[in-house]
Amino acid sequence: MISAPGKSTQLFLVGWLRWRLFVNGLRTATGKLNLAVHIIMGAGIGLGIVGLGVLLGLGSWYAIRYGKPPLLSGELWLVFLVWLLFPLVISGFGAEADPVSLLRFPLRYSTFVFLAFAHGVFDPVAAACLYWLAAMLLGISVASLRALSWAIPAFAVLALLNLLLNRAIYAWLSRWMAQRRTREILGAAGILLAISGQFISPLANRYGQRALPWVTRLASGVRVLPPGMAAATITFGCAGTAGKAGAEFAGLLAYCGGVGWLLAIRLRAEYRGENLSETRRPSAEARAPVRAGWNVTGVSPTVAALFEKDLRYLFRNTMAYLTLLTPALIILALSVGRRGSPHPKITGFMLGSSTYFPMGVAYVLLTVVGLAYNSLAYDGPGLAMLFAAPVRFRDVMAAKNLLHSMVLAAEVIIVFVLVQFVGGPTPLVVVGLTLAGALWALLMNLTAGNLVSLYYPRKLKFGQMRRQRASGMAVVATLGVQVLVGGLGAGLYLVSRWAGNMAWCGIGFLGLAGITWVAYRRVLNLVTGTAWKRREALLAELSRPD
Amino acid sequence: MTELAVETTGLCRRFGELEAVRNVNLRVEAGQFFGFLGPNGAGKSTTIKMLTGMLEPTAGQIRILGLDLANDPIGVKSQIGVVPEGLALFDRLTGPEYLTFAGRMYGLDRVTAAERAQELLDFTGLADRTKSLIVDYSHGMKKKLAMAAAVIHGPKVLFLDEPFEGVDAIAAGTLKAMLNRMIARGATIFLTSHVLEIVERLCSHVAIIDRGELVAQGSIDDLRSGVAARQDDGQKLSLEQIFLKIVGGERAAVPELSWLE
Repeated sequence: MISAPGKSTQLFLVGWLRWRLFVNGLRTATGKLNLAVHIIMGAGIGLGIVGLGVLLGLGSWYAIRYGKPPLLSGELWLVFLVWLLFPLVISGFGAEADPVSLLRFPLRYSTFVFLAFAHGVFDPVAAACLYWLAAMLLGISVASLRALSWAIPAFAVLALLNLLLNRAIYAWLSRWMAQRRTREILGAAGILLAISGQFISPLANRYGQRALPWVTRLASGVRVLPPGMAAATITFGCAGTAGKAGAEFAGLLAYCGGVGWLLAIRLRAEYRGENLSETRRPSAEARAPVRAGWNVTGVSPTVAALFEKDLRYLFRNTMAYLTLLTPALIILALSVGRRGSPHPKITGFMLGSSTYFPMGVAYVLLTVVGLAYNSLAYDGPGLAMLFAAPVRFRDVMAAKNLLHSMVLAAEVIIVFVLVQFVGGPTPLVVVGLTLAGALWALLMNLTAGNLVSLYYPRKLKFGQMRRQRASGMAVVATLGVQVLVGGLGAGLYLVSRWAGNMAWCGIGFLGLAGITWVAYRRVLNLVTGTAWKRREALLAELSRPD
Repeated sequence: MTELAVETTGLCRRFGELEAVRNVNLRVEAGQFFGFLGPNGAGKSTTIKMLTGMLEPTAGQIRILGLDLANDPIGVKSQIGVVPEGLALFDRLTGPEYLTFAGRMYGLDRVTAAERAQELLDFTGLADRTKSLIVDYSHGMKKKLAMAAAVIHGPKVLFLDEPFEGVDAIAAGTLKAMLNRMIARGATIFLTSHVLEIVERLCSHVAIIDRGELVAQGSIDDLRSGVAARQDDGQKLSLEQIFLKIVGGERAAVPELSWLE
């Protein structure tokens, strides 16, 4: 009977596997390009990391030399937060690959645990943080050798704690994110958290003074968290109060033990073969009669059915509709700041309130038209059904364009109402010019977007943020059209203003919209033939399994 | 003369250097239950994709119910139903939503689409999962739903790529019942499958493709008698034996593995 290979053999094999995956990934032009981009970006980021390390080293020297414990604590907090949060931000809100996939082999538990840690140690962020801690140790050693004797164990335990905590967070997040619904909810929470960041400044302006005592109380509580305890260990040690330093150090060790225990629960469960299947437990559902589809006035039954399907898809895609809600929420945030501020400010510029509406509409437009440049992204395998059915692709794109136009219209109305609340009534001429300009910009973007969607599609996954970007060409095309629209629009506006007749601007926008409408119709008529010719490429990209 | 449901002439498909399908001339008469067989990588899925308009042939002509697919794709698609390899489901819709959507895509009015969707949900046993999204369905449920969507408009020709793959006996029974009803009302069914017992039980005619070339075509009895004549042992052969003899599965002796005794 064959026995399981030794730990070193298993580790060697896993290392070999990773290496082969990396090398084989370079077979395609995209893989090589990605490597080049990583090297170039890595060099730039590396310089920043080295520079920050020098600053942190100088800072620790200064903190110990001149007795500034808060500075040392602040630096440790920085390292702590970067180590924990940066990998999360980079990987986004998706399920994380881990050594669980290797469990079908006779993998020893110790090897499994080691691999889980290796994932964390060989992470670039962890390497950067270890370098920063080393730089800080160097600074401390120059300032005081006595401080160094406390700094070495404190930093070692803090590094170990970070490693354990990082792995524990990943292990528990993987547990939660194995379920599609939880993944979507956490993703949505992430987006809301990012949006809520916009409210900090306006709320601080408005309620800052009243919140100050609470903030101070919170800051004193932070002292008993690991970075604060590590800094206190060194500070007390340096001051010769070994008892207090020892107590702080014991606290750090206790944190390590607690987090290690939480991690062990997860790793043991994973090793035992915990099933994290996506399949939901079948539940009894009440039988309900099938409802007839929607009847959308003014469009063909096919377009109506497609529109209904796309709208349902939009509302079931938490990420997409939250992204669409972002402009309205940000304008709401600005309105909070505006009401608390004596000056009519938007993003630091002094602007008249008549510009609020055009600016809001421009922002909304940029968000909504992004969808039009990759409009088949979420159709997935269902796209094959559209090719199998007797449907003209013209209708498919028309339905998507109708949806995007209606979403834009709804958002423009929300922005209009909010802007009236923030800056008072918008002059009628501004409303008219803005709507004319938006109509032209929308048609330009839909025309270009329909072609880009067929020529440079990119499949996107529901409820995920990680690596969910349109193709590079789609990004370039989006940017190009915005530059063209912005340039022509600004030119028309300035000429009309110089001539002292803003009606010219409105007529110009409507004229351009008319010309673009003709182009839009022509492109829409071409879409069926183009999609038919490109069906193979479209199905290969958009119907590929996850 | 019998009407041809599917007819291909000199059908070819290249992928770079690889010639996946070479000069395939298929003839499927209307009303036949037709099995399209072949080993893995023989060109079955490539052929069915071309027949349903999902893949452009490199050369050759496809006629479905007398209509040229290249010249009249919409006309052809109105007459056919397809369950492709990946099932082609919009998995963020519920079952009823998907069926009514499919019905309307094939030109049914809203009310008829809803009525037929209800009937199909009852028939396939999916009527008690009307709120779940398709993404949460089991594989067998997805297959039944894809089949229901393919027949909602009453197609004259039904193309099925591996309809019984990964399906349990109960779901397979439902699918077979649905297919037999289609045949009873005069439809033509063209399916690929690796499960030769099912093909033998359901299909009246088969074609076998091997390394991109059509190597046999006809009724199962014709193929059986042809192969048996060559073998000259008088024994009634199963479809699996016919298949293995035609694609040469028996020629190469199965090598021994030195560590398996």
